[in-house]
Amino acid sequence: MIEIHGLTIKYGAAVAVDDLTFAVKPGQVTGFLGPNGAGKSSTMRAVVGLEAPHAGVALLDGRPYGMIGRPLEQVGALLDASAAHGGRTARAHVACVARSNGIGARRVAEVLELVGLAGVAGRRVGGFSLGMRQRLGIAVALLGDPGVLMFDEPVNGLDPEGIRWIRGLLRTLAGEGRTVLVSSHLMGEMEKTAAHVVLIGRGRLIEDASMASLVGRFGSLEDAYMELTEASVEFAAGGRA
Amino acid sequence: MIGDAIAAEWMKFRTLRSNHWLLAASLLSVLISMGVAAMVVRGFAGQDTADRLRFTGIGDGLGPGLQVALFVMGVLGALSMTAEHATGQIRTSLTAVPKRHVLLLAKVPVLLGVGLVAGQVLAFSMHYGAMAVLGGHAGHVLMDGRTLGTPLSEPGALRSVLLSGVAIGLVTLVGLGIGAVVRSTAGTLVVLIMIVLVLPTAAATLPQPWRARAGSVMFEGLVGDGLLPPVAALALLLAYPVAALSAGAVAIALRGRRTHPLIAGLAATGVLLATVVVAQPAQASDFPWKACKKEMECAAVQVPVDWDKPQGRKITLPLVRLPATGSHRRIGTVFALPGGPGGSGIEDLEKKGAAFAQLRQRFDVVSFTPRNGLDLGVLSKDCLLGGPWIRLPSNEAEFDRQAEVNRAAADKCRAKDPELFANLGSDSVARDVEAIRVALGEERLSFLGTSYGGVTATNYARLFPSRVRAMVLDGAVNLLDERRLRYQVMEGQLVKFAAWCAGTAECVLNDQDVVKVWREVASAKRIPVRGRQVSYDGFDVQIAAAPHFISPGADNFRWKELAKAIVLARAGDASGFADYVKAGTGSLKPPSPVGMNMTHCLDGVGFRDYADFTEARSRNKRLAPNYPQQELWHGLACPGWPEPPANPPRPLPSTGLPPLLGAASWTEPDVDALVRQVPGSATIRFEGHGHGLYLSAEPCTIGHVNRYLTWLKLPPPGAVCRS
Repeated sequence: MIEIHGLTIKYGAAVAVDDLTFAVKPGQVTGFLGPNGAGKSSTMRAVVGLEAPHAGVALLDGRPYGMIGRPLEQVGALLDASAAHGGRTARAHVACVARSNGIGARRVAEVLELVGLAGVAGRRVGGFSLGMRQRLGIAVALLGDPGVLMFDEPVNGLDPEGIRWIRGLLRTLAGEGRTVLVSSHLMGEMEKTAAHVVLIGRGRLIEDASMASLVGRFGSLEDAYMELTEASVEFAAGGRA
Repeated sequence: MIGDAIAAEWMKFRTLRSNHWLLAASLLSVLISMGVAAMVVRGFAGQDTADRLRFTGIGDGLGPGLQVALFVMGVLGALSMTAEHATGQIRTSLTAVPKRHVLLLAKVPVLLGVGLVAGQVLAFSMHYGAMAVLGGHAGHVLMDGRTLGTPLSEPGALRSVLLSGVAIGLVTLVGLGIGAVVRSTAGTLVVLIMIVLVLPTAAATLPQPWRARAGSVMFEGLVGDGLLPPVAALALLLAYPVAALSAGAVAIALRGRRTHPLIAGLAATGVLLATVVVAQPAQASDFPWKACKKEMECAAVQVPVDWDKPQGRKITLPLVRLPATGSHRRIGTVFALPGGPGGSGIEDLEKKGAAFAQLRQRFDVVSFTPRNGLDLGVLSKDCLLGGPWIRLPSNEAEFDRQAEVNRAAADKCRAKDPELFANLGSDSVARDVEAIRVALGEERLSFLGTSYGGVTATNYARLFPSRVRAMVLDGAVNLLDERRLRYQVMEGQLVKFAAWCAGTAECVLNDQDVVKVWREVASAKRIPVRGRQVSYDGFDVQIAAAPHFISPGADNFRWKELAKAIVLARAGDASGFADYVKAGTGSLKPPSPVGMNMTHCLDGVGFRDYADFTEARSRNKRLAPNYPQQELWHGLACPGWPEPPANPPRPLPSTGLPPLLGAASWTEPDVDALVRQVPGSATIRFEGHGHGLYLSAEPCTIGHVNRYLTWLKLPPPGAVCRS
């Protein structure tokens, strides 16, 4: 379970996340939605300790990330596909991360097989496409068989086969009783995948509701999103039609 | 947890091919060391002997190669951090190891392990590579006492190579710390170039002593023989990586707030400055030296006139010092003991101080006007310069008459201060030196005793052996020899003179049997000096000729003069000799100066009685048939002396003294016998004419003496210096 209490993140004078409070429950896929610049990535980074909040806390099963002895066994996160040194092979990259948390070579091979990179495990990451890097990030997230998973735009760069695979993977993970938080801009996919939605805009919580209730009120997730975030869009293109 | 992190960092290190390339690139440093050695050899081989001595050695051979190795390994350490930031890997690393300080510290053992191993491999490869290129030239002794290349058997060489390897290992942590502060690769490289290359080069352009002081705190300056004592240098060497890592840790802790790299930099500077301040070289004592002339400093010391009455009347001895230049860590004081007896050490340093240029890198050079110096000003210098003519007695009555003449001459000068006159033996001079040592605050002294200064030196060594750090006896007088070896010298010089004469038309005896002619004039009964009421006998001829035989002079000018004087004397006119003796001493025959005898006689140079004299005379006739009487002159000045020989010559103790170094020219074979009283001693022989080789700035001798005084290393057996 992920608990966010009064989280406030500032970059200098700009407030990226403003007194945000919500919880992500296990056993279902929770969609994390909002316009660009709403504070989704900042919030997710704060959960894994990559961001130091100005105020508030982010707790995983009651503990801050930094207090967890072997964090990868509790939390797996795909936040940034580019977070890998291009000079290493895929296998070496995953193995180094695994070693830091006491995870062995067998599991490394398993996760690489799982994400479909077993064939290119010996190739340097510098030569990978975006989709391959995404899969690599997912492999790292799955290493410790964690109870909490967070994915920031996981289908970025994936082909339709990959998108469908992700959809199945997320549902399976949630079905195993894990806490799954996914952020995405693909409303259609989200509607098919997530059971709960947390919607934020300009750093503040807009809506924290079940998918069913949102679709019931607005007709579709996209309509719900557009309606609820009208006032919170940071970067709107062109003039009104 | 940290164990896992460290294992992961090791895996991260070895799975990156660029690290392997960097390590391979570090071998460039070996090529550079060998290249520099090759250039030095080319330059060295093309020089003649004198210029070679002025070369600067390449030390342990690492040279600029060390800087390259430091830079490359510093980059290795820096990349461990900056590449993570540059590639975004840092986000994965921090997710896996969320405690940032743990992530930083986990890199330390990996870098240190790789760095220390690579460091030793590189350091020893650079050393052996450079030494191999130097080949046989490595052992050549230079003027500052070092050798062109220092093999590991030389003092300090092994330590410096080992420490260089350690420094190469530690620099990885310096790079890591800076990388943690600066984060960008380019920025970190700039800082590393500053530390490893720019700052040391800038320090080398400063004037002394700032150059030495700045250089001694540079990272690479801490591995060799710098200003700081070894423990302090090691502490500062460790302070660099500690400071860098502290700065990195501070930067990490402040991340997210307004991190100023300046704060982290200040933390680092604070650690470094604290260590530098604590690690300052020990200052010399505060003896009241005052600048007097040119670069010399003057002072004075009071000593009792009579060392048997230490609370009694005092006399003042002027001191002079050429201070250490501060370019290296100061070892101590070298005391230059003047000869004569009666000479002035102050004049020696004033006129010949340039000979000490290299030695002053590590030593203060001190000298004085001794109590028996003619310049002291208590007894009249004019009186002391004069003295009676010595006549060779043919019976006891004539011997007694000489004694009366001696006594009268002594009494004349003695009247001014009889108490001082009674205490002018070399043992009193040695006790004065000991009083100066105490006043200077030195634990022990190193000595350069020149000519009769060697007698002062051996007296000191006998009286205060535990205070002798090192002792050089340069052309020293050996009173124990009873002049036996000296006779062979005169015979040998006669042979050399004859050989030279036969080989050149500039010798007026060129076509004659030189030895036969010499024997004639050396055994003559009476040769008048034309135009004067004075005549020379064979003894007078030998006395007058001796200094000319001993030192032929530049272009053998004295030998040419001698040949002319001999020819003239053979023709019945001794004015050839009388003229140059008058020019030198103001008297037609050589006087025996009171200023010389007042020490000689107390030191037991004189004949005890007529029987002692006749025994010496007949012995010397056997030892030197062609030159039998020259060595009788000194001994005949002391019979009748108002003071007894209170300080007869005694042997040196064979234990308790460090090995001594003698320096001797062709005409000084008795120096070696003098130093060999102490086991382990050696003599550097100069194949040529000369006296007081160090003060005469003979460069090869200076090199060996400096080497001995600095590192207590003696020349190998059979070592010679050629003119």
